[in-house]
Amino acid sequence: MNLKKIDVNINGKDYCLEVEENLRLIDLLRDKLHLTGTKEGCGEGECGACTVIMDGEIVNSCLVLAFQADKCRIITIEGIEDEIIKNSFIEEGAVQCGFCTPGMVLAAKSLLDKNLNPNEEEIREAISGNLCRCTGYNKIVSAIKKAASIKRGGDSE
Amino acid sequence: MNELKIVGKSIKKIDAKDKVDGTAVYPQDIYLENMAFGVTIRSTRPHAYIKVDTKEAEKIDGVIKVFTYKDVPGKNHHGVVLKDHEVFASKKVRRIGDPIAFIVAETKEIAEYAKNFVKVEYEEIPAVFDPEEAMKEESPKVHDRDNVFYHFKIRRGDVERAFLECDVIVENVYKVPMVDHAFLQPEAGVAYLDEDGRVVVIASTQYPHFDQEEIAESLGVNKDMVRVLTPAVGGAFGGREDITVQIHLAIAALTLKRPVKTIYSREESFLAHSKRHAMKMYYKTGALKDGTLLALEAKIIGDSGAYASWAMNVLRKAAVHATGPYYIPNVKVDSFAVYTNNPFTGAMRGFGATQVPIAYEQQIDILAEKLGLTPIEIRLKNCFREGSETSTGQILEGFIPLERCIEELKSF
Ligand code: FES
Ligand code: FES
Repeated sequence: MNLKKIDVNINGKDYCLEVEENLRLIDLLRDKLHLTGTKEGCGEGECGACTVIMDGEIVNSCLVLAFQADKCRIITIEGIEDEIIKNSFIEEGAVQCGFCTPGMVLAAKSLLDKNLNPNEEEIREAISGNLCRCTGYNKIVSAIKKAASIKRGGDSE
Repeated sequence: MNELKIVGKSIKKIDAKDKVDGTAVYPQDIYLENMAFGVTIRSTRPHAYIKVDTKEAEKIDGVIKVFTYKDVPGKNHHGVVLKDHEVFASKKVRRIGDPIAFIVAETKEIAEYAKNFVKVEYEEIPAVFDPEEAMKEESPKVHDRDNVFYHFKIRRGDVERAFLECDVIVENVYKVPMVDHAFLQPEAGVAYLDEDGRVVVIASTQYPHFDQEEIAESLGVNKDMVRVLTPAVGGAFGGREDITVQIHLAIAALTLKRPVKTIYSREESFLAHSKRHAMKMYYKTGALKDGTLLALEAKIIGDSGAYASWAMNVLRKAAVHATGPYYIPNVKVDSFAVYTNNPFTGAMRGFGATQVPIAYEQQIDILAEKLGLTPIEIRLKNCFREGSETSTGQILEGFIPLERCIEELKSF
């Protein structure tokens, strides 16, 4: 297997790595770097449990090859310090089994970084690539609404 | 009364913080020193005699061992009620997905590669996929016994006479399909030996205490030599009540004396665990002109697939709930659990109480329509109240706020 050299910034840290050509980004994160907050639910771009932020956009890390992340900035759940979003998820009861949660938090983060006043439809659109089998989504939507409102300087309603 | 401290309050889940931080540990997140990786070979045929040849696979560099039924130190069986699953199929496979072998290699890639070299020869035999067909005497037998392995009866009053008194009778057949739990975290696990030589199995399971017993039996050791640890569980909904990864991992770790891990893909997860029972429900419901329900006769056939799992409990519950929350004085219910060569079925949210409403509620709507009553009127007339007697003779006591619940629906 051919190896490729990549420079990648993950959660603010620079890495210079040699990766197999067929290595997926999710395997690089999990198996090589043990950043296991990124989850694999399907391996084929359906569930969003493997969501990471790549140069500001959310991607399914199971569909990205590691070498494609060359010269990119990757943010995984381990690199998210946004306590407002995280606390809103906890307080609104948006976390059950938790397997979808890292992906959901990243999808929420990516939305709120661009739009601090999303309406319900925009929120649902933003998490439309993320499946949750436990919560029924409503609590996740209200968690994101709450986080947006706090970020706008409003109260927690 | 003092204000309640917990009831009525929103309580933060104690594990929610770890989950939003991404630090909660699911079995796939565990990496141990010197850990080998296992993959499962599964049947691709629904009903066949098999011969397995693992020699070629075992020659591959990096393959440590390929486990088959011959390598099970104790009993080659498991099952929550009947021990009708094999740890590894020995002579015959009974469904697509039956585990046949477990390849353990130095890496996941090698184990996956070695899959191509395990030879499974199938001699296919007639299979049966329709439970009603399977009930016939001449149909292929999934196990060495009658395919009907459970029949539950409810007899109350005299349905035959009661139907003669009914002003309207509705008769229909309802079918509901199998459903997968599709919990978001595919099955995974790690097993290793601890300092005392005990086998430790870490797996997302709904039943660590059952698993411990089943693992010990297959290893041929006492229960105290087996520890089952349950880390974070990524959803279950009943789908993690039967054994999947646990015994394979335990046998491998005990035999090889090193940690072994396995992770199922989503596709394998679908093959490995149970489904909700598909049911065919024959319903005959009769009422008087004013909407009073008088008689119900039902036959409920549950497709158990290749293994029993919780079928008895599920089909019993389906029968017990067959009238719905309505008082009916004359009831005759027969429910059956039947083996077929389909995926096996087991627990899933409601345990049999989920399927029957499709039948009994539609029956009531159709009766209402025929009698010129609204769906609310007919339900208010018949719903359970305090002191009502169910078809199994239980007197309902305490708080039965069904009437109020139906009244509330008027505003919709
Ligand atoms: S694991 Fe990548 S989308 Fe499901
Ligand atoms: S909390 Fe379980 S999948 Fe979302």
